Amino acid sequence: MQDFLTLLHYPFMQRAIAAGVLMGLLCGFLGSFVALRQLSFFSHAVGHAALVGIAMGVLLQVEPTWTLLPFTLLFGVAVLYLIDQTDLWSDSILNIVLSGALAIGVILASFIKGYRGNLMGVLFGDILAVNLTDIGLTFLLLILSVSILLATLRQQILLTLNQAVAKVQGVSVQFHRYLFVVLLSLTVAVAIKAVGILLVNAFLVIPASTAKLLSHQFKPYLIGSVAIGAFSSVIGMIVSGSLNFPSGPSIVLVQFCLFLLVFGFTKLTASWIKL
Amino acid sequence: MTPDIPPQFDASIPVIKIDGLTVHRGRYAAVENVSFELMPGTSSAIVGPNGSGKSTLVQAILDLIPRTTGSVQIFGRPIRKLGTLRHDIGYMPQNFIFDRGFPISVTELVQLGWVKTERGMSRNAAITQALQRVNAAHLRHQAIGTLSGGELKRVLLAYCLVVPRRLLILDEAFAEVDVQGEADFYTLLDELRREESWTVLQVSHDLEMVGRHCDQVLCLNRSLVCSGQPEAALSPQNLLQTYGPAFSRYHHHH
Repeated sequence: MQDFLTLLHYPFMQRAIAAGVLMGLLCGFLGSFVALRQLSFFSHAVGHAALVGIAMGVLLQVEPTWTLLPFTLLFGVAVLYLIDQTDLWSDSILNIVLSGALAIGVILASFIKGYRGNLMGVLFGDILAVNLTDIGLTFLLLILSVSILLATLRQQILLTLNQAVAKVQGVSVQFHRYLFVVLLSLTVAVAIKAVGILLVNAFLVIPASTAKLLSHQFKPYLIGSVAIGAFSSVIGMIVSGSLNFPSGPSIVLVQFCLFLLVFGFTKLTASWIKL
Repeated sequence: MTPDIPPQFDASIPVIKIDGLTVHRGRYAAVENVSFELMPGTSSAIVGPNGSGKSTLVQAILDLIPRTTGSVQIFGRPIRKLGTLRHDIGYMPQNFIFDRGFPISVTELVQLGWVKTERGMSRNAAITQALQRVNAAHLRHQAIGTLSGGELKRVLLAYCLVVPRRLLILDEAFAEVDVQGEADFYTLLDELRREESWTVLQVSHDLEMVGRHCDQVLCLNRSLVCSGQPEAALSPQNLLQTYGPAFSRYHHHH
């Protein structure tokens, strides 16, 4: 713990904690919709396809963020379009495009000469390496997502529950679906640098699922998911700093433990009620 | 001089007017050349065997699936030009709630149906009243996951009632409701029709209830086999034509 307090004096640690909390808030917020709309495999595919975006950045010798963002955005929208245009199940489509993108990503990566550590880092991410641009982007996305989704909350819940009913009530279902996928793809892109391709989905899925176990009303569920997301990041960073664990996995471990704790708690209370 | 009546409130304009409607599911014509009109304050039922295109017809009326040919007008306008008149339509599909684990309370669900209108009540008053009308006020804090099938249907009806509507479309909405609950439902629908001149269109399997509570029956078997008042429309010949010989034999034995 003393080590952690010393670490707090360093700007990189302050940035890491800010990034972790912002990401916890943003992913917890979007994740609450992802969990109910069954989009978790979608964000999983977008996350893996991001490898192409990063490899392109390295090959073109630009900051990977600026190839990653447009690539994931295009990829997300294109996948949704494909799902809408075929009779195939969405998980088949997602598997197809995920495999295709990974293949392209690995081939592109093979063209990268010399040091590939930068590229391999994207699998696991490094929250200690985030810069102010990354934090600014995350913050911007958080403000954008919260203001758009809260301003249209009634429509969002309705279209999550039943698209046909939402459409009859005049909700622009297609517009909102695409808008959400844009926000989700960009979120995956900004989160990858900090937590890596392999663990980004945990941020979207675990806090929301934990909140779903706890609450059977929408607003408490939404707030719970956001709070659990942010709380896990803070505790995860403390664990990481004190025990010298890698930070992304530490946060995910805290999310996972919280999930188990809540699961056990709900099981216990359910059996008490029966007694 | 007579004052101008807004067309949407003119009792001589059909609430729904369908002309030569054909809808394809893939290459198969699920609904073929269907025409009918529903006047304000009437209650109509679409009956027909499984796969006869009942849900397809309803979905095409609501523009949820594309139609091949024909025209559909609601409140005298094409559905895409309804604007805020959409809020006057209440629609309850067969499976409104796919996911019973969806974290939402009864009050929150009913609230989704509410929109601010000039003549309407405040939100909370409207929600309370809608839940009272369907005898579900005591459920308001419950999660939808804890409701029985019948309770859920009542709550969904409250969702439809939370703002004054003029057209209610129910696609086998009572499938899970017990007999007593169903009778209460029809009484409430009759009341809404008489007092607020709602128009009701429902897909139903219960020919007995349809005979007792509907003004008009539409027998569908891809195309419209018969239509009119229940006594005439539900004649043995028409039922034979709609449902086929198996159904007719079944009825003769009873």
